Amino acid sequence: MPDNQPDNHADNRGETIGGVRRCLQMKFAMPSDPRYLAVVRGAIGPLAATIGWDESECRAITLALDEALANVIRHSYHNCADGLIELECCESADGLEITLLDKGDAPDRSKICAREIGCDQPGGLGTHIIKSVMDSVSYEESPEGNRFVARKLLRKTP
Amino acid sequence: MKISIRDVGDAKVVEVEGDVDLGTSPVFRRTLFETLPRAAKLALNLAAIRYIDSSGIATLIEVLKDSQRLKKQFVLFGLSPAVEEVFRLTHVIRIFQVFQTEQEALETA
Repeated sequence: MPDNQPDNHADNRGETIGGVRRCLQMKFAMPSDPRYLAVVRGAIGPLAATIGWDESECRAITLALDEALANVIRHSYHNCADGLIELECCESADGLEITLLDKGDAPDRSKICAREIGCDQPGGLGTHIIKSVMDSVSYEESPEGNRFVARKLLRKTP
Repeated sequence: MKISIRDVGDAKVVEVEGDVDLGTSPVFRRTLFETLPRAAKLALNLAAIRYIDSSGIATLIEVLKDSQRLKKQFVLFGLSPAVEEVFRLTHVIRIFQVFQTEQEALETA
């Protein structure tokens, strides 16, 4: 939606001025090829910094998004580089919302955060990182494909 | 990602520079697994790592386990902020021997 149009959902998307939405929104359509991960990492860090997170939190948010994308590449598309991943990062009134959509295999829910945290097993760290960094995470299957949504709240210091 | 290896006494020091992610971690993994049997100690310099993901951390855990099996030493030094962040989030730093400097990493028995 152009930013000069009234937005009925303006109450949860960025700053509003007279009912007009003012928010930062970033969309990517990327092949499921790990070569493109660095491109997304290069964009999400500055976006998170602009919203208001510090350097350490920006690194953590970048890592969480990268882990989510890597999971799609590895588990939904089984490392085939010709799948499509649609990514949307949207500033909201209280932070950031990240949405990934893919048309690969649905995630195996039994393997999400199945690993014990802090143990010496090498696999399964990614979903723990995502859960630890983001405030809410959901995985759902929809007619459009597998949808991953993660939200992080910006906690303003008084 | 760039990797270089040099000999210091009976140890091998591996330097990694750049990003370790899903795309580059297979090379990172192969290099460490090939280097480990060739020295009494493998010291990994992480100071120039700009980014590392869970696949990189998983590789470190695998190499540590292999070092125990081969009775070799595997130590880390010079953790960059990016590496520290991932270690903090994954809670696995306690299983590694971590040093500030190369000298400290090589001096430990």
